[in-house]
Amino acid sequence: MDIVLTINGREHRLGVDVRTTLLDVLRERLGLTGSKKGCDQGQCGACTVLMDGQRVLGCFTLAAAAQGAAITTIEGLAGDGAPLHPMQQAFLDHDAYQCGYCTPGQIMSAIACVTEGHARTEDEIREFMSGNLCRCAAYPKIVAAVAQAKLAMGHA
Amino acid sequence: MPDDASWTTIGAAVPRIEGRAKVTGQALYASDEPVANPAFAFLVLSTAARGRIRSFDLRAAQAVAGVLDILTYENVGHEADPPAPHGAGEETTTMQTSRIWHDGQIIGVVVAETYEAAREAAYAVGVEYDAEAPSATFDSPGVQEEVREPGEHKDFAVGDADAAFDAAAVRIDARFGTPTQHHNPIELFTTTCTWHDGSLTVYEPSQFVHGLRGSLAKQLRMDPKRIRVVARHVGGAFGSKGIPSARTAWIAVAARRLNRPVKLVATRGQGYTIATYRAETRHHIRLAAGRDGRLLALRHEGWEVTSRPSDYNVSGTETTARMYACPNILTRVNIVHTDRNTPGFMRAPPDVPYMFPLEVAMDELAEALGMDPVELRRVNDTQTDPATGQAFSSRSLMRCFDQAAARFGWADRTPQPRSMRDGDWLLGWGCAAAAYPANIGAGAARVLLGPDGQATVQIAAHDIGNGSHTIIAQTAAERLGLRLEAVTVQLGDSDLPPAGLAAGSSHASGICHAVAHACEDVRARIAVAATTSNAGPFAGRDPATLILAQGRLRGEDGTAEPLHDALARVTGGALEAYAENIPKGLPPDSVGKLYSGQMAISRGTQREDLTTYAFGAQFVEVRVHARTGETRVSRAVGAFAAGRIINPRTAHSQLMGGMIWGISSALHEATEIDTRAARYVNDNIAEYLIPVNADVREVEAIIVPEQDAEVNPLGMKGIGEIGVVGMNAAISNAVYHATGRRIRDLPIRIEDLL
Ligand code: FES
Ligand code: FES
Repeated sequence: MDIVLTINGREHRLGVDVRTTLLDVLRERLGLTGSKKGCDQGQCGACTVLMDGQRVLGCFTLAAAAQGAAITTIEGLAGDGAPLHPMQQAFLDHDAYQCGYCTPGQIMSAIACVTEGHARTEDEIREFMSGNLCRCAAYPKIVAAVAQAKLAMGHA
Repeated sequence: MPDDASWTTIGAAVPRIEGRAKVTGQALYASDEPVANPAFAFLVLSTAARGRIRSFDLRAAQAVAGVLDILTYENVGHEADPPAPHGAGEETTTMQTSRIWHDGQIIGVVVAETYEAAREAAYAVGVEYDAEAPSATFDSPGVQEEVREPGEHKDFAVGDADAAFDAAAVRIDARFGTPTQHHNPIELFTTTCTWHDGSLTVYEPSQFVHGLRGSLAKQLRMDPKRIRVVARHVGGAFGSKGIPSARTAWIAVAARRLNRPVKLVATRGQGYTIATYRAETRHHIRLAAGRDGRLLALRHEGWEVTSRPSDYNVSGTETTARMYACPNILTRVNIVHTDRNTPGFMRAPPDVPYMFPLEVAMDELAEALGMDPVELRRVNDTQTDPATGQAFSSRSLMRCFDQAAARFGWADRTPQPRSMRDGDWLLGWGCAAAAYPANIGAGAARVLLGPDGQATVQIAAHDIGNGSHTIIAQTAAERLGLRLEAVTVQLGDSDLPPAGLAAGSSHASGICHAVAHACEDVRARIAVAATTSNAGPFAGRDPATLILAQGRLRGEDGTAEPLHDALARVTGGALEAYAENIPKGLPPDSVGKLYSGQMAISRGTQREDLTTYAFGAQFVEVRVHARTGETRVSRAVGAFAAGRIINPRTAHSQLMGGMIWGISSALHEATEIDTRAARYVNDNIAEYLIPVNADVREVEAIIVPEQDAEVNPLGMKGIGEIGVVGMNAAISNAVYHATGRRIRDLPIRIEDLL
């Protein structure tokens, strides 16, 4: 079927299988490989992107169902050479990753965690970031990064 | 000129140099590599665990729109050999024949225009089996048990452990078990193959790109020069991407048949049987001491599961025999053959399963003696390897215990079980020792230094989250006298000079030494040119006294000239140096072995002059709910002495991550097996429990400074493995302290505590 997706402010028209996920469109059709596949079954969060500012799992969203929404991926946060988003900077500052594979999903999820108002305390950050698995186990540093970035993002 | 700290690189806690790429999504992992017009593969796995394939029915699969090819043993079996076995014995086969060795074995590959079509067709493949009842695990009918012969690993018999045990005043005799575990890196097992003029390029996450290249050359009967393996960033590995898996050759064959790139992203569940795992183990420990706490006897016997044809084992008795001074030691390891996929190494391979029984037994012994567990370790500490009589190159075990104990507040512990409480929560404090051999890999590196003061370092090292990019840059910057930003690192590509397998805490030291050697070559050539020249400030001096520092060539008296001028004496362009490093204990052909894809690691347990190990101490607080049995690790403090640390920031993340792996191992992780079908049941990362953010509270890793001039020239021991070691026991000991229940089978679950 033919669909239109709005990703990082750009419109893309493409024909897809009805079964194709948003994640596979991003990765295999549009070259936006920043969103990662860690399970393809909604368990790990590596594929997290924003749809109209809400965090969603790219592997659990059919591409056809993503039409009409403004989709933001990790590539949409900071262009080439542009300053990093405060959340990206915070992950750098805190070494909030090791292999980096879960990181794009963590960052997208963390931005939503802050804008949802779910980053008021460290406990809350832990709880609301628990949908994003990190096998390298950078969790304490991820919590510190979110706590830093929320201030830069203007949230208490 | 005063030293400027901004130039300091080795030992500096600098951010990862590839950090920006990682936080912007630009870092390319294998399945991110763009290839033109790929076809998509989906694996067909066996649903029988033992027997033969009687027949395939491919009609429905072939009828799926977009299907391009279906590979089975019938049409491609002769086109690829299996990877060589890792460890002794033989390897299971896949599509070479109709033979089925285990559930989830690769028996077919469907290739289609789209991922969706490949998946649909793969599920439509009909298979008839001549199946036999499989043997799943320990105690299953049909398993074959045998004593592991000495080979890669050996046993120890010092004194007479049985007689000493029988005669001793205080004795512990206990049996333990550890479960099957799967690495579950978040990056899946992917492979993309492309052919061009008879040459093959493979994009695959790997901990050993030269190893994979060498294996593929043999499997596909090709000249290795025609194969390139690329793994620029690896999304976690933990051992699972270290040895070649069977899938790669079949994807290469599929791409060759279609004359088109083929891309495989195996599913999470398939990863449980197409790669390796940590096998379940059992242990029998006997420990005896005098009333003063000094050990008199240690007897440790282990049992490990492996596949039907393989003799793979980890034999962690090589560490437990070395932990404490003891005049009578006996070790033995048995392997149990089952109808399962072949296990492999997983983070701290021997020491996670084997240190668990020893360090719990030590806690039991301390209690039997009425002695503090830390003091029991102190009484039995030694600078001499008790298994061989050799000296340790350095051993800071008690410094680790003392620093971690102080930080943890151990002095406030009341020793009686169930004596510390916070409302409904029983508090337990426990500790255990950590140890891991200081291994080091052979390696080679090329350095290019340009007149603009920019350097490029090339080495086929692996960044699996271990910080390789950054520590390579730090080493080169320090040795070339450059700022970190002036160094570009190229790694993860078998076209580059080889580095060893990124495993066994052997990688950082291996690659940093190779890079340091190449940089020394650069320095020496610049220095020789400067001292043999008739003009210039260094004419006639001893070249060995000149160093590269802070963008200059410098003499001992402070005389200096800009690097650019010094370099101009050697070359008008870039100076290129290539160097190999063969660590002590390895034969001279070791780098040649790497080029051909074989491992070349000098092990801390196998040197003939010294025994080299890193040591550590783990302290944890658990909270066990008195009514529900819910168990949480509320605090963990680990202290580790591992020689020189190149980057304390990335090292801290490694150690902390290892400790959280330990929490996971003790309380969460286990692969459940349906013993009738010899099948993994919870083959996904929702039901295979690993910690989520909310499971982890305070985790503190202390790096204890340690200088070791003997272990290797840079004094490095490696830190990737040791952080997880000892956590199983520390948590079990803390649970005992909280509840009075001694849990000897992992993981510890609510039902154990009700
Ligand atoms: S890939 Fe989407 S949740 Fe794991
Ligand atoms: S950084 Fe490796 S999985 Fe999170």
